[in-house]
Amino acid sequence: MNIDPFLAWVESTTLSQWIIGSPSMFAFPGILTLHAIGMGFAVGISTAIDLRILGVAPKVPLGELRRFLPILWAGFWLNAVSGVLLLIGYPTKALTNPVFYLKLTLIAVAMALLVRISRQVFYERTGSGGSSDPPTTAITSRLRNLAIASLVCWTGAITAGRLLAYTYHRLTQLH
Amino acid sequence: MHDFQIWLVTTIGGRSAIADVMRTAWAWPLAESLHFLGLCMLIGGVGSFDLRLLGVARRIPIAAMHRFIPIGLLGFAINIATGTLFILTEPDQYIYNPSFHFKLMFMTIGGLNAATFYLTSYRRVFAPDAPLDAPRRAKVIAAISLCAWIGVITGGRLLTFYRPSACEGQQTELLLTCSP
Repeated sequence: MNIDPFLAWVESTTLSQWIIGSPSMFAFPGILTLHAIGMGFAVGISTAIDLRILGVAPKVPLGELRRFLPILWAGFWLNAVSGVLLLIGYPTKALTNPVFYLKLTLIAVAMALLVRISRQVFYERTGSGGSSDPPTTAITSRLRNLAIASLVCWTGAITAGRLLAYTYHRLTQLH
Repeated sequence: MHDFQIWLVTTIGGRSAIADVMRTAWAWPLAESLHFLGLCMLIGGVGSFDLRLLGVARRIPIAAMHRFIPIGLLGFAINIATGTLFILTEPDQYIYNPSFHFKLMFMTIGGLNAATFYLTSYRRVFAPDAPLDAPRRAKVIAAISLCAWIGVITGGRLLTFYRPSACEGQQTELLLTCSP
């Protein structure tokens, strides 16, 4: 399937041309900056949760870390939006590069792991009483493995993301 | 100041064994990836502690939360190390770059601000009978900390848009003759 006509159409839109063509710092540079800040909070907080499971800061009640989840998700959605804008700016650069799909896959797996970890340590507990108290979960080896997998996926996603600048074959349809 | 910058760039020179390694195909991207991982550890360690001081997850004792700080310091150390590699390799791209100057300024603010926390609030916040709600002074410090590190990220991310351009018609390795 040839997606070049679609990529050419995206690049012809006003939004795409503003993102990469505008001299404004709020265009491409600003979106890229938001993408780095969102990454810091999303991956940073997810990493803190993983490390707590693996034994860092043992006196922090694991269940109480759920209060940080809204900030983690805010970072994630900031990056989903800024990421889509960057994609609209350079659709050919991303979508013709296998590393981009690797990055998206690693992020999807990392977020799926986060949801599984969250379910296990922050929410549902069969037979538990009030909803205000998070469960005091025993840290099983399965939970540890989820945390390790999460750290591996984030490391891979960040590395893949950084390599996008070095591994693309075509920048735009014109090139 | 300008003379100092030229002296610094000339002294570093970008011609060392480290610079040669950094110019291989994989070294620079790898160091950049580590720099981004360090950023996440810094925000995950220091940023989450700041958020706790500001009132997120009040039921976590502040002293317990402080055990995440070494993760942030480790991330910071990784970034100082990898950042130094970049500067040693392409000194002119940083020393003359206004975005780098802002980045250094925010790093200084973040560092002095952290020192202020340990000098003025540490004992009150970490006392065995300390209330779960941090004192106002500690909250102000935490807010400044978050802003400073976001400023550092912004300065770092914008570096590439403020790189000094190469001299017109001249092929000099370092941008001494046409730097601002």
